[in-house]
Amino acid sequence: MSPALPSYAQLLEANNLMQNCGDETYWLCVTRTVQGSKLFPVSPYIMLSYLNAFYRYPTLLRKIESRMPAEQIADRSRNMGIKIQNSQLGWCLPSFYLLGREWLLSMGIIRPQDALHDVLYVMDFWKRFQLSWHRNDGHITNREYGHRAQILPDRRLEVFKADMFPCLPGDALQTAAHTFMATASQYGFLISCESRISLTNSGPYRFDERHEMIVRDFMDLAECSLPWLDGVAAEVPYNNLTIPMAVRDCHFHLVDDWGSFECDPEFTSDKLAAIGLYTSDPLSDGYVPIGMNSAEELTHKFIELNDILKAATIKLWTRMASWSREQLVDAGALVYFAVIKDLAHVAGVFEVEDWLEIDPRAQRFRPLLNDEFANSVLGELVGSISLPSQQLSPFSMMQHSNRPSRVFTPLPYSVLAGEDYVASSGGIVRGSSSLDPKVDRYRTTQGALTLAEYNRRAAAFTPEVCAEPYRYLCETWVKYHGDHPLCDALYRLEQKQSRTLRDRGAAPSK
Amino acid sequence: MTKLFIDGDRYGDRPASMLVEAVHNGVRDLVRRRLAECGKEWSAFVFGVANDTITQADFEAIEKRILASGHRFAWSSMLSLRDRPDIYLSGDQSSATNASFSFEHRDAVVGAEEGGRQLRGQGDNVVRRAQNTVGTASYIRTSERVLALMQQGVPDDFIAIIDDSGGTLTAPILEKFKGVICAGGTVRSHLGILTREYGIPCLMNAKVSGIREGDRVEIETTAPAKTAEACQKGVDMMASIWKLTA
Repeated sequence: MSPALPSYAQLLEANNLMQNCGDETYWLCVTRTVQGSKLFPVSPYIMLSYLNAFYRYPTLLRKIESRMPAEQIADRSRNMGIKIQNSQLGWCLPSFYLLGREWLLSMGIIRPQDALHDVLYVMDFWKRFQLSWHRNDGHITNREYGHRAQILPDRRLEVFKADMFPCLPGDALQTAAHTFMATASQYGFLISCESRISLTNSGPYRFDERHEMIVRDFMDLAECSLPWLDGVAAEVPYNNLTIPMAVRDCHFHLVDDWGSFECDPEFTSDKLAAIGLYTSDPLSDGYVPIGMNSAEELTHKFIELNDILKAATIKLWTRMASWSREQLVDAGALVYFAVIKDLAHVAGVFEVEDWLEIDPRAQRFRPLLNDEFANSVLGELVGSISLPSQQLSPFSMMQHSNRPSRVFTPLPYSVLAGEDYVASSGGIVRGSSSLDPKVDRYRTTQGALTLAEYNRRAAAFTPEVCAEPYRYLCETWVKYHGDHPLCDALYRLEQKQSRTLRDRGAAPSK
Repeated sequence: MTKLFIDGDRYGDRPASMLVEAVHNGVRDLVRRRLAECGKEWSAFVFGVANDTITQADFEAIEKRILASGHRFAWSSMLSLRDRPDIYLSGDQSSATNASFSFEHRDAVVGAEEGGRQLRGQGDNVVRRAQNTVGTASYIRTSERVLALMQQGVPDDFIAIIDDSGGTLTAPILEKFKGVICAGGTVRSHLGILTREYGIPCLMNAKVSGIREGDRVEIETTAPAKTAEACQKGVDMMASIWKLTA
């Protein structure tokens, strides 16, 4: 049975969400980056990933929501630093899907009203996730908040601040931490095939007049659901690392929906004032401290992990440098397409054939994706906004560019007047990959697990703060219930692994 | 001729790129043909019949027609050229083995020799530093060159000249560089982000001329870092690159 005709309000809302994504896409692409790589055919894999996202995301998101609603996954995501935050959900989820749609529109392969219910559903999923993810700052995107993301609750920020170790320019901890973050960033770009999706930042959070904190996340570092890390990352003990980082005399004036930050004055290592280190994943009950018993222990942990990641970088680079173009394109397309795969890990429904294969409906376009065409069409799609489908009435003035164009084509309201449309692009078709098959081994905070076991444990697990009676005890409730026993219990939960605040409860920090 | 919805586009203009236009026209013709052949309504065609009748072989035929016109594609990944040399323009893989090689950007700003140095180009500074950076220029353009430096070690004072704004080609050796001149990207490209993280002086989007392997160079890392606002408004904030002659 066909789904019911959407309401006018549904279409209006979806088009508004799409327009917001489109405006930000243009701004991000113009101000943030010009990508090129001698190693990876970046534009070819990006275009392939957009098509894979268009054909597969609706089905995969519905599968995830059959186990757990988007807003509930976002509630969990706020308590861990895994690969479902900005940029993965803030920008990639809607934009990858819509950019695939826009390219197909420009080629005349689909009409604006085709896959109508898919588009509505993807945008609705995204809206619900984002509103829940941003629950504590009350926005839907970093862009809407003036490019910032205050995701974490007071109780977690108290622990981060109290437990982090101060450092000074040139001391052992600062040197080790700074070196590690550079190495982890380098490794992250390599893991993600020349994309930044393994790294993200959120915040800023105010400490005092001179100090702010930003939370840095490095994700998918160990043997995880990326098959090219099998073996080369066997020694990496943590799949995700979160680094709360306080700086002095440096204001983070921008944290965007790609998870990039900018500060004034420019952040340099001498401004690093304090630091901490944590891991987390869908099976951890919040953030687990690493090496946080003393500054010396933390320094040694940064040095140890730096050496491990450097060794893994060399092994991975050597593996990738031997790949064929087909393999490079497949890896890039899959890491991009699967940027939201941790949604499935949290829900306990991750399957290799869902996330690590190129759908044949996307695969057929591969002969078009030589370097020159892919660079040109991607440049037009997100940079010059010059594809035919993106052109508007000459009276129009696009945000940022003032040109008569827009990134994403809205859903037409004419369907409400009876114009025909197609509801969905259809279910998933079994795909393929030229890469080595994924080894059935996944590094988690509960050890190396098979996928079946990982899914089983994830499906059975509910973090304590996401369960009754705590789930809806929001920051507004906390504000007016500082002396309530439940508030005290909530803070104690967060403080369970804190070196300095354990069992302190909800007593005000000032 | 079968009409598609795009044929009624009131505002759509041609794509900016002739190649994109040629490919898209080829795809549109293909869609028209397949829709006419199946004799069904669009709604039955778009995600049904079209999935079976618009095939990889059809797209291979479009590529073949473009190649038959004599066009050869520009490459960006050296592995694209390696794996399909027949479809790409021949590549200049010159690197350290060719002592006479230099980037020759047509917009490079060059000047007369003055005070033991000669202006040979400009770039966007990633992070403003207290001092300019001086070192020995060396080109890195291939993974073979990276492998050789992994084996031999990166010399002191090494200023890498790279035409790749990504962060993966030089991943195993980047931290050893004293400085980077990148002939591409922006200060927010991956190489810009990584050099900032490592604390390595770097100019991105550099336009240079006449700098050869082994030349001593000075880069103006005391210049202001290029801002996002300047990127958005297209404002130049260029730092200089000199070849040392004394």
